Amino acid sequence: MKKIINLTINQLAYETAVEPNKTLADLLRYDLKLTGTKKGCDTGDCGACTVIMNGDPVNSCLVLAVQANGSQIETVEGLSTDEGIHPIQNAFVEKGAIQCGYCTPGMIMSTKSLLDKNSNPSEQEIREGISGNLCRCTGYTKIFEAIESLRS
Amino acid sequence: MLLPKFEFHEPGTIKEALELKKKWSSTARFLAGGTDLLVHLKKKIITTDHIISLQKIEALSQIRDNKDSVEIGACATMAKISGTPVIKEKFSALKSGVDNLGTHLIRNRATIGGNVTNASPAGDSLPALLIYKAVVLLESLDGKREIPIEEFFKGPGKTDMKVDEILTGFRLPTPPAHSGAHYIQLGKRKSSEINVVNVASFLEFDPKTKKILNTRIALGSVAATPIRALKAEALLKDKIAEEASFYKAGEIARTEDCKPIDDFRGSAAYRRAMVGVLTKRTLATAFELAGK
Repeated sequence: MKKIINLTINQLAYETAVEPNKTLADLLRYDLKLTGTKKGCDTGDCGACTVIMNGDPVNSCLVLAVQANGSQIETVEGLSTDEGIHPIQNAFVEKGAIQCGYCTPGMIMSTKSLLDKNSNPSEQEIREGISGNLCRCTGYTKIFEAIESLRS
Repeated sequence: MLLPKFEFHEPGTIKEALELKKKWSSTARFLAGGTDLLVHLKKKIITTDHIISLQKIEALSQIRDNKDSVEIGACATMAKISGTPVIKEKFSALKSGVDNLGTHLIRNRATIGGNVTNASPAGDSLPALLIYKAVVLLESLDGKREIPIEEFFKGPGKTDMKVDEILTGFRLPTPPAHSGAHYIQLGKRKSSEINVVNVASFLEFDPKTKKILNTRIALGSVAATPIRALKAEALLKDKIAEEASFYKAGEIARTEDCKPIDDFRGSAAYRRAMVGVLTKRTLATAFELAGK
């Protein structure tokens, strides 16, 4: 039986009916068409589905949509404004931290969470901050450089 | 991957959760962090008709410092435990255990109660719970029950928890002065890894005589459940706390206490060798910390 849930995604309030066996990742992608959030492994190993939930980054493939009832969600779609793309997105572009792009939304959300909590992370903290996100193209060097360039 | 269909229940109290569990019995599962349960459901390793979410039961995620002990709610996340001052100050081996589980994304959801009830021999928080003498707190509609954590594990994925019970948390006595503990996990990579061997050691010594008063060593991934290295512990009693004693304890743990098997993560021989090394290293660091 479907359940009605209320949640805030990128500062917009949503009310929607979901089956209990739908994950937050599928709610975002298939019901709300917010396809910026990717699905890779679907088992919490790759981090492609990373979103920020109530201030903490999580694997949205391992959260039921019904569990997100009442929560604040941030996805990659929430980053750009009328003025243009977010400084994190810009840094990824500038440093060439993107190849196929599939891990990028997850990487960027992990980066946002890292920098929201610590605007000047050490090298170790940067590496730990993206340790939940796999990239099979870049070898991480460019991604690391992009995040490093954002340090205050 | 699709999740199978199930009914979703979200009780607000432990009593309501227990009533639902009694009603649906083995056709229902408790959902805490979901980082294992949802994966197992997706992969069709387990099935269930009812999911009883514990997320809304606030009492289950509290961490309380009672001075002589600390109580950790079963639904406290790994991230929350890691960030709690009393855990950082007095239970460093547990902090190290929860910091090594999965990735930081997983640790924001995964709970200590889930880690324990999953009862993986390689579980990251389990050796620390063993060396800190954690008491498992269980509750059913008939009342409360406490059991030492060493008696809780019955095999891979098997525990002493009854079908109508809920794990509410753990009570860990505060370690005495002149004691220290340390945890080391060995895997193929640092993040998101299932351990090949994981060892935690606790040591209390007399600063005047340097004699070891008390020690507890727990070995993970080398038996059907996490185990205590009782023979190594016995050897250390009243010995002088020094490198040579720690080495000997490692040798006993390696040759007599552990019962590893070969699997795709590592051979039994390698695991055995690493039990020796990690036992020695965790004891040495525990001693160093005890002296501070």
